[in-house]
Amino acid sequence: MVTNVAGRRYRTWYAMLLRLYPRTFRERFGEGMAQTFHDLCREHEDDRRGLFGFALWIFCETLAGIVRENIMRMDQLGKTMLRVALGALALLMVPLVASRVVEGWNWSAGSFVFVYVLFFATGMTYALIARRMGAWSYKVGVGVALFAGFALGWSTMVQTADSGHPERLWYLSALAVGVVGALLARLKARGLALTLFAMAATLALIVVMLPSGAPPDMARRMAIGHGVFVALFTASGLLFRHASLARLE
Amino acid sequence: MANKDTAQTPLTPAVLHILLALSTGERHGYGIMKQVEADSQGKVKMGPGTLYGSMRRMMEAGLIRESDSRVDPEMGDERRIYYELTGAGRTALEAELKRYRSVVAVAEGRLAHGH
Repeated sequence: MVTNVAGRRYRTWYAMLLRLYPRTFRERFGEGMAQTFHDLCREHEDDRRGLFGFALWIFCETLAGIVRENIMRMDQLGKTMLRVALGALALLMVPLVASRVVEGWNWSAGSFVFVYVLFFATGMTYALIARRMGAWSYKVGVGVALFAGFALGWSTMVQTADSGHPERLWYLSALAVGVVGALLARLKARGLALTLFAMAATLALIVVMLPSGAPPDMARRMAIGHGVFVALFTASGLLFRHASLARLE
Repeated sequence: MANKDTAQTPLTPAVLHILLALSTGERHGYGIMKQVEADSQGKVKMGPGTLYGSMRRMMEAGLIRESDSRVDPEMGDERRIYYELTGAGRTALEAELKRYRSVVAVAEGRLAHGH
């Protein structure tokens, strides 16, 4: 009886230990490993042998396997980081070449480093989030949301610096809604869909409420630009909704 | 399709034992462990970490594959995932055994001649 209780406890702990495997490995073999451990425990229980030493050995042996598999996964992560770093470098060529061609485009070296870090961080965020799910709509949704978020943040900073109207930083609150929403949703498709709709609504509300302080012509262009961002956030939300429904099916 | 490297280089002891355990038919994880233990007269005890880590690499190399998920009538009513050798796995096992035989022949020849 005591052994049965101990066996159940060890099986629960073992199931928790298996969570440390990389997701792909866990999904493929986790159930089989838990079942095998269960069978081994039962064999020990039937033979009336103590479980502690056996469980300790299996836990250490499995832990070594977890380290091995995670190191292999880190190698894949390294490849992803290299790809993103090269992609960010390619994107950096655009402002680098433009600064040579366009008159008055005088970025300091620090600005280029800052922009490179932004490109790299955005790319890595996409790579890490998008590989959580296989659904194409989830991946495209993440891509659209990050692109729109990056472009909104960028254009807001540039316009604020150029116009000297700090109240335009209010537009960034849409991004704050996105970050908080994504954390609360734990990157699940359904929660992300709601987050993106909330971002679109927040941005639309700010566009309507906040006086642009710009000449009518400029104000119209800004309204169109923000309308595009609202449409992109909405489209991203619809893609996440599609991914959520596809998962349910 | 077997990975070229897997087919040409010596197999690790764990891979060889798993191939050997599956050579007589499909087995689930626990069944493979028990067969490995029996094949090695209890000298090789493989834990789940080694077993499933090796099986992951073997599946990627095309040596084994999942065959079925069903209840083992001798072991209660839980469903178990069964694994089986592929054609490439059988070829790799035969190649490895041939390599072992040639090593043993060389070793026995040397020992017989005392050098």
